[in-house]
Amino acid sequence: MADKLWFLIPEIWLFVGVVVVSVMGLSRRKMFRDLLPLVVCVFLVGAFIITPLLYSEQRISAAGLLMPMLGKYVKMLVCAIGVILTMLSVGLIDRDLEASMSAGRTRFDPIRVNRGEYFSFFMLSIIGVMLVCNANDLIWLFLALELTSLPTYIMVAISRPSRKAQEAAVKYFFLGAMSAAMFLYGFALLYGATGEIELTKLRDVFAAQAAAGGLNRVAIVGLILTVMGISFKMAVVPMHFYAADVYEGAASPVTAFLAFVPKTAGAVALILILSTVGWSGHYGNGAHGLPREILTALWIMAVLTMTLGNIGALLQRSAKRMLAYSSIAHSGYILIGLIAGPPHGLNAVLFYLLAYGVMNTAAFAVLASFERKGEEIESLADLAGLRHRYPVMAVAMALAAGSLIGFPPLLGFAGKLYLFIAGVDAGHIALIVIAGVNSAISAFYYLWLVGLPILAQSTPQSETVVARPVVWPRVAAIVTAIGVVILPLFAQSLLKASQAVTVERETTALDVTVAPDQPEQPTSP
Amino acid sequence: MLGSFAATILPIVVSSESAVVDVPVAQATDAFGWAALILWLPALSTVLCGLCAVMKVKSKLPGWITVGLLGTSFLLTLALFFSYEYENPVIIHALQWLNISWNGEGETVQFIANFALYVDSLTLLWMLFVTGLGTLIALYATEYMEVDVGKGYTRFFAGISVFLFAMSALVLGDNLVMLYLGWEGVGFASYWLIGYYYKKPSAVAAAKKAFIVNRIGDFGLALGIYFIWHNFGTVEYRVLFEALNAGGYSTETAGWSVRAIPYLLMLGAFGKSAQLPLYVWLPDAMEGPTPVSALIHAATMVTAGVYLIARMYPVMLLDEYALPIVAWIGGLTALLAATIGMAQYDIKRIFAYSTISQLGYMFLGLGVLTSFGAAYHVFTHAFFKAVLFLTAGAVMHGFAGQLDLRKVSGLRHMPGWRIVSWTMFYGCLCLAGFPLITNGFYSKDEIIAQAFITPGFGFVALGVIGLITALFTAYYAFRVWFRVCAGPVHFEPGDDHHNGEHGGGEFHPHAPRLVINLVLVVITIGAIASIFLGDWVLRGVGDSTAVYPSPHAEGDGFWANPHRWMPWVASAAGIGGILLAWYFHLANRSAAERMKNALLANGLTRWLPTAMENKWYVDELYHATVRAPLWILGHFLNLFDRYVVDMFLVDGIAKLPRALARTFQPLQNGILQSYAVSMAGGLALVAVLVVLMPQFVEWVRSVMGGAG
Repeated sequence: MADKLWFLIPEIWLFVGVVVVSVMGLSRRKMFRDLLPLVVCVFLVGAFIITPLLYSEQRISAAGLLMPMLGKYVKMLVCAIGVILTMLSVGLIDRDLEASMSAGRTRFDPIRVNRGEYFSFFMLSIIGVMLVCNANDLIWLFLALELTSLPTYIMVAISRPSRKAQEAAVKYFFLGAMSAAMFLYGFALLYGATGEIELTKLRDVFAAQAAAGGLNRVAIVGLILTVMGISFKMAVVPMHFYAADVYEGAASPVTAFLAFVPKTAGAVALILILSTVGWSGHYGNGAHGLPREILTALWIMAVLTMTLGNIGALLQRSAKRMLAYSSIAHSGYILIGLIAGPPHGLNAVLFYLLAYGVMNTAAFAVLASFERKGEEIESLADLAGLRHRYPVMAVAMALAAGSLIGFPPLLGFAGKLYLFIAGVDAGHIALIVIAGVNSAISAFYYLWLVGLPILAQSTPQSETVVARPVVWPRVAAIVTAIGVVILPLFAQSLLKASQAVTVERETTALDVTVAPDQPEQPTSP
Repeated sequence: MLGSFAATILPIVVSSESAVVDVPVAQATDAFGWAALILWLPALSTVLCGLCAVMKVKSKLPGWITVGLLGTSFLLTLALFFSYEYENPVIIHALQWLNISWNGEGETVQFIANFALYVDSLTLLWMLFVTGLGTLIALYATEYMEVDVGKGYTRFFAGISVFLFAMSALVLGDNLVMLYLGWEGVGFASYWLIGYYYKKPSAVAAAKKAFIVNRIGDFGLALGIYFIWHNFGTVEYRVLFEALNAGGYSTETAGWSVRAIPYLLMLGAFGKSAQLPLYVWLPDAMEGPTPVSALIHAATMVTAGVYLIARMYPVMLLDEYALPIVAWIGGLTALLAATIGMAQYDIKRIFAYSTISQLGYMFLGLGVLTSFGAAYHVFTHAFFKAVLFLTAGAVMHGFAGQLDLRKVSGLRHMPGWRIVSWTMFYGCLCLAGFPLITNGFYSKDEIIAQAFITPGFGFVALGVIGLITALFTAYYAFRVWFRVCAGPVHFEPGDDHHNGEHGGGEFHPHAPRLVINLVLVVITIGAIASIFLGDWVLRGVGDSTAVYPSPHAEGDGFWANPHRWMPWVASAAGIGGILLAWYFHLANRSAAERMKNALLANGLTRWLPTAMENKWYVDELYHATVRAPLWILGHFLNLFDRYVVDMFLVDGIAKLPRALARTFQPLQNGILQSYAVSMAGGLALVAVLVVLMPQFVEWVRSVMGGAG
């Protein structure tokens, strides 16, 4: 247990940050309140630096986790993207209130200021993802997943002073609660079928069951409930209904957060849950794999998610709604990696999470950089002719969209390439063909995001759009857009970093060994 | 000088007559690390020119940056030249580039292509004139392009820098991928610079033509490189030549994909070096500014094909018919281009055809196994052709774009044109192969004489063709000089009044100033100096990959050894051509017109002058046989695309997702309860289908395909 605590140091450190931030947010001095994003960044960077120092061989073997190295990659990833997301949120919360307080029209009222809460919840949600990586039993996993989601409900509600945001928050909360009920029910059935809640022991029991002629029926139903319930976090069909409304209702920085942080938590949780049953050929004795029922369900969900996400985006005239549907479609691509399984599939999933985090945040950062009369822009038409007034932002948007399409040599291309290769390697040709067709469909609507800012002429409507007074969203857009171009150069080493992650600990109870030999990867130049 | 003369005309004695390839083994070295700068300085120059473009520099700064960096690059090449000793080729590692390995059938396959320099005497020979002439021509261009100072000036020098970077990569690279990078790079730079006057439709068309014709050749090269990789498992010269040295690839046993390699490489070389049947782009490429014609389309880039064959000489021996075909293509191109050149009136075009013709000689030399003759001719030709183009450019510059040799006369009597006239005179002498004092004489004789010695299919006929071509060459070279530089003073300006000073009143030609004259003199001195470098080239080629024992003559009597009698015969051909030109174009200028009219009046001979003036209708032939069918096919496909693919397939399919989207849209109605029901219903549906209906699972698995 003590060894496990070592891995919690980043979370504890961030929790200190949560306390500091929530107290600072109540300060009467505007300066302290304005410093909040900086403090958040300091804590996130600190966690980013601490994390890799903790993962020593000895602690990893002592911790008794299912995939002990998963945390290192995922924690560093969410901290890094978290810094960018913090930049997007600068000046977002309490904007009108702060303005009227500066003008002396309103007195400081600790009940009414929300900035401290916002950033506290922001960090709590990130802590949730980090805890998901450390989960070794179903209860921990449940708590960690809910810690990821619960703060986001509030973040949506307070993200902007509009009824749309509150409506979105209510929908999100109710549907989220329902999904939590689903996978909690699934957990209960898993416990019922095996008598275990620890993931490593679950795996051993499943292996024994599979060797004895197949998984328990109750376990299968439990797995389906679990997988589908968790897939709500990733907005996978049929659990995707909330996505469009919630993403549209929340302010763009929060939407960017929703599209990355809960999705990462969901993907990591699914990796852990599916690891307990294992993928075909992954275990030494080869006979066990994803039960055919689970594989079928995942396959159907992947196909539907990609397809409905992409065709849903086709008709949208709102940029945010379009990106919401595209986020659904990307979850479908991620499922390909989950179906393909280790080693390549899971590596590809982890790499894709990074790629998607960077490129999707870039697109939202551009949207978050602009406003009209204090209201953020939503419609695609608002972007028309952006090049003439904000050339750098127009290029950033074009790069982000190009990367989301998977246009070589941008980051999204590398991500999709690894996913698709993993799918082909695992023999899922039909799935990859469907994914390819979907990529082509997605180009249709993403190209609006390239064409409108770069090629179209300004319209009277789009000329009323101006940049927000704070510079940080634009900085975030530029940083991520550069990342979209530069990171593919390091794709090999990033992929290598994600490779070490998915190695499982050897099982103890049965004489089933994890295939340790990873095929030779292309050495990086 | 006479010592050098003797050395170059004596038969080349080599140790062995056998056809066994014995390429010197290259060694990696840590010394000369600085040599990589030869490659990087032009790249730096490109970047700086780009910066100038961004900062909208309105001075000659980009020109001087380019000249300075290229000059440094040249000095480094010189330093490398003096510090390199004639032993084995050395490989200087600059940068790790491509190093990919994957699991092949049972073994790990590795694909390595680094940024590394392969330095042997062939490399040095090329780099000396590439960087040297590059610097001088860039210097010339600082004055020549001055009317465009500003955007155009920067664009021009950025193009020159890109070109030199690519050409250096092509020549210096230690593997075929780097060669290909340079190959495409010079093609791109050439397109960039031919289309420099992009507002002129003819320049745009010429740039397009050059690019497209070159693509045909590039296709061959790319496929050739692939086949080399496929058969030898490497693209690095060192490994490739070691494999060839080790044997196992004789012309009898090699498979078709090995035997195809020489022909594919040849196709690439013929495209880049403007040989039959792909030469048509080069005359049109003269639409670019004259320094570009001089540097890229006469002295350096077009010799890349010769370099490719020389570098890949051992590979060219993989099929026994490859080199004879190279020889025949070269010989025929030399003759054809010379006959066209005799009947043209545009000075730059004449020189363009002479370039094609001289390149033909180089391929002839490679084909008849005198790689020394070919390499030497590349070297000498680079100098005198640069002189000729730069003088033509000076004339064009001074007479407002006038290039018609009938409309400018007596240049040497005009004030300020003396250096131009006499450097052009020396250039023409070199081109004509005037005995003893010109470099072209030594290199060309070497090639023609070897054609008479090497046994091969019709090589003697090729030697005769070479001699006839030499006569024609001397004639058309001096036709230009006697028309333009000699005779009574007379000129008509061209229609290119770009300078405001000529706007209103009478036209005054403006003579070239210091920089242009200086560059002309320096290159002329370089041309003279290259006479004495024959020995060095001879030894150097022997140490390079182009080594192959040239057969030598059987006897040693005067008539038994072509290397003995060739100087006399070739001199006679050259002087004969000059005398003909003197008679028709200086002494008795109307005689040429009269003869042409007489030929035209006679129904039997009318075709000859017409066909020559119209370039043997090759462009028209290509139009009818290649372009027109493609055009018709293109239009047919266009209609097919528009009405079948676009209207029916594409629009139809494009409507499908939208129709689907509309079908599913009602589900997304914004009502919380309906979302919750849909989610629960979706979950229930999936659970029921996969848990309770095994048939459904089986059906999906059949759709999924072979997956586990």
